[in-house]
Amino acid sequence: MTTQTAIFRIDGVTKSYGGVKALDAVTLEAGVNEYLSLLGPSGSGKTTLLRVIAGFEVPDSGRVFFQGRDITNLPAHERGIGFVFQNFALFPHLTVRQNVAFGMAHGAVPVSAQDTAQRTQAVIDMVGLKGMEDRGVDQISGGQRQRVALARTLVMQPKLVLLDEPLGALDANLRGRMRNELRAIRERMGVTFLHVTGSETEALAMGDSVVVLDRGRIIQRGAPDDIYSHPASPDVAHFLNRFNLFDGTLAGGSFTGAFGTVGVTNATRAPRDVYAIRYDRLRVVPVSAAPTGPALKATYIANEYLGSSVMNFFETADGKVVEVEHHLSLGAPETYEPRQDYLLTWSPDQAIVFGREGK
Amino acid sequence: MESRVLKPILAVYVVAFILFLYGPFFVLTILSFQQGPDGGPQFPITEWSTYWYQQIFGLTPPSRIAPLPVGEALIRSLILAFMTMVTSTVLGVMSAQAFRRKFRGSSFVFYLIVLGMMVPGVLTGLGTSLLANNVFGITRHWYTTAFATHVAYTFPFAFLVMLAILNRFDGSVEEAAWSLGVTPWKTFRKVTFPLIFPGVLSAMLFAFTLSLDEFPRSLFAAGGTEDQTLPLAIYGTFAVEIHPNIFAFGVLTTLFSFALLSVYGILMGMSVRRARKLAMQEEIA
Repeated sequence: MTTQTAIFRIDGVTKSYGGVKALDAVTLEAGVNEYLSLLGPSGSGKTTLLRVIAGFEVPDSGRVFFQGRDITNLPAHERGIGFVFQNFALFPHLTVRQNVAFGMAHGAVPVSAQDTAQRTQAVIDMVGLKGMEDRGVDQISGGQRQRVALARTLVMQPKLVLLDEPLGALDANLRGRMRNELRAIRERMGVTFLHVTGSETEALAMGDSVVVLDRGRIIQRGAPDDIYSHPASPDVAHFLNRFNLFDGTLAGGSFTGAFGTVGVTNATRAPRDVYAIRYDRLRVVPVSAAPTGPALKATYIANEYLGSSVMNFFETADGKVVEVEHHLSLGAPETYEPRQDYLLTWSPDQAIVFGREGK
Repeated sequence: MESRVLKPILAVYVVAFILFLYGPFFVLTILSFQQGPDGGPQFPITEWSTYWYQQIFGLTPPSRIAPLPVGEALIRSLILAFMTMVTSTVLGVMSAQAFRRKFRGSSFVFYLIVLGMMVPGVLTGLGTSLLANNVFGITRHWYTTAFATHVAYTFPFAFLVMLAILNRFDGSVEEAAWSLGVTPWKTFRKVTFPLIFPGVLSAMLFAFTLSLDEFPRSLFAAGGTEDQTLPLAIYGTFAVEIHPNIFAFGVLTTLFSFALLSVYGILMGMSVRRARKLAMQEEIA
């Protein structure tokens, strides 16, 4: 991506709170009309990053550029960057219409009353709040409040909208619907969204591109399927919450762990040796079987029904819990005896191996 | 089990407390309807009448008992209380707003402000009068020196009320307004102020009522007779002889206070509905 098409760029931004680095020399760029999701555990600095871009926090060092202009020291209200809060932060003393019109009615850039009314109505219709205009924001549901928050921001026609866990306050059902709507609305408006989330499924489902943040640093950036199938480090694999991770030793092209020694064809360079195998890549066989691949003896504990799949939990001799996912589309799940030993096996070429020997 | 014993005891305690609180006012009210001008400030009531109320408003024929010299003092006190209320509330809101961010020496400034309500009023009053007379050589007036002591006294109350309100205030609505391109000042006017208005109202009530019946500071810091505030004027009449006209006046000022409280209550009720909306929004967060 070239600088010309970048809508914003942050350059070596560092921000500390009382000696703790929330952001450690973060450099990030997003293009025009792009949906970027920012995934990180709590405390990874993702909200701080948004707040620095929005102008609510001043970075200790580094620069922030927006539309080619250095805005590091520009106050928030002069930036023209939209922000959608996790708690929506609606103006509680105003109606839906007044909330949406607020930026035009009181902003530094004057907008005529007629334009204000017209634009307000248009965006209210777009987010599906027609008929709610004169309600107080306490008289509408959580999903509707989310729409008001979005409408209020979008009506200002920003080129960049920052969303801080915007779906976190909604129930699961609504979250799924709002995901689709967010994408659709963004595409219609042609703005860049920078969406912060702690949910790996949300990040993978929504972003054109996903940025993984950990302890104030960006540890991977890429397309969702790329991150999913090629996590750059054990940490990324851990955040994706789809992999069983085993510690061990990678030496001379083979990995030695609790499951014995397995040949490795392709290892990713990382500061520690970790063997990762996706939940749905494991197979369960009786102890008496002699599988061709690697085998790990484990005790069945319990399972969890997830709708489209069943998650089975096993415990290895050294107390590690291993998760095995069975997609129901592949047939009815097998039943396992609690407290019984089984062998877990997989095909070695489906494992992702990290290590100091990797490339 | 326990409540069977505890409840009656608490009930008796509450009744005793209320009697203690309102008893004097109750007795005062009865005595204010004493016959005049010969009836004295004690029981029994020789004859029920509204003589002393009429006397306050100058509706009675002249008698040996002079009307209360409180008319001008009342006006003075009301103006002073109003000035104090406006100044202290504005200062209180502004300083509490400043305390939302930690700044160097903030705890020192905090104690400096709060000192104003801790220092004995007599000392403040005396000190101010000495300062005015001997150091600056200025004449003391109710609207200068006394006003300054009243502000120093009521400002901490307004400050603490606003501090408590702003402590619970969720700043994300302000950030939301900024991100919509609204300047911080406009944001304060259109978002922050409407939301903290219940607190502002309470701060105003504190400042007004505290100033209205302030005595020790005014005693020294206000000037001569033509600078007397209402509490000073009333105290002055005690020195001669007490007549039921003071009781009648007391009843009237109490009614005035109740009227003030009612206005406060109505305004509060209106803004509490807003606050409730905010609380609902905070629950989501």
